[in-house]
Amino acid sequence: MTPVSLAAAKPGDMLPEIQFGPITRGVLALYAGASGDHNLIHIDIDMAKASGMPDVFAHGMLSFGVLARVPTEWAGAERLRSFSARFVAMTQVHDLITCRGEITEVFDTEGARDARIALTATTQDGRTTLTGEAIVRVG
Amino acid sequence: MPATEVPAHHAGTMSRAPTEGDEKVGETTSVVGPKGIFDRSTKGRVLEPITVQVERGRIQFFAQVLQLTDPIHFEVNAAREQGYPDLVAPPSFFTVLDQAANEARGRRGQPSAAALVNVDFRYLLHGDEAYEYLNPIFAGDEVTLTTSILDFYDKKGGAMEFVTLASELRHAERGVLVCATRNLLHRLP
Repeated sequence: MTPVSLAAAKPGDMLPEIQFGPITRGVLALYAGASGDHNLIHIDIDMAKASGMPDVFAHGMLSFGVLARVPTEWAGAERLRSFSARFVAMTQVHDLITCRGEITEVFDTEGARDARIALTATTQDGRTTLTGEAIVRVG
Repeated sequence: MPATEVPAHHAGTMSRAPTEGDEKVGETTSVVGPKGIFDRSTKGRVLEPITVQVERGRIQFFAQVLQLTDPIHFEVNAAREQGYPDLVAPPSFFTVLDQAANEARGRRGQPSAAALVNVDFRYLLHGDEAYEYLNPIFAGDEVTLTTSILDFYDKKGGAMEFVTLASELRHAERGVLVCATRNLLHRLP
């Protein structure tokens, strides 16, 4: 959280992990309203079933937004230079998500120093749902 | 690697833009072949730029649902003490503005990118999303979103079809705030 730990960042360092969930239908409804993503497949089980799904499932962008907290709660939002993630598997209702980040590289750029962070979101039973990457300005 | 990775050499090479003749073929035959839902004739289209407001309440609600804790997303005074003019948008707030732009388009009778490429939400999945942050987004900002339909491609022998969308979020004085790229896909029935 402090500038000192940012300056000392090195490959292999793990960032504080973040847990989110278990994901409830209520959280999916709130995320739909907060994000403006009103795709009913995430909040209406009848629509989910009509699409061949057994149940509603979480918005990928819900986990995406939680995963982005790993670099920003470590370094502060203003230091985040890029953030990306791939949606590897669906997040189901009742999943408990753990978001982790590991520094993979620290490099000089534009007269400053950036850290590259590899990110993952995994469920309580070990399924990886998102893999991502962040670049954070550390010095 | 995840199935959603984009192999550049596949982009745009595994299918052609549909022509009027394709519809008939699709209806009259059940043999294996292109059965995509996306309207690939929209490749290269740039949607009309649309301006949306960044509202404090949206930042607070979005940050609350994601369980962000930094007061710069919730308390104007805390944000100002940190040197910001107003509440700071969370990292994934671009998606809120994108949806707001879609709603504004709908009110004007303009199609969203999803409507233009003919998204079928029953089969839609999100492949990936990438943001580059050039300047922060603050509550009170008026921002202009420009979205382009970059490309279409197939994977798994046509069982999945993808569209790549690119967007730029711009502020009149501070320039480009965020560049966003996303891949959406249909898990074809």
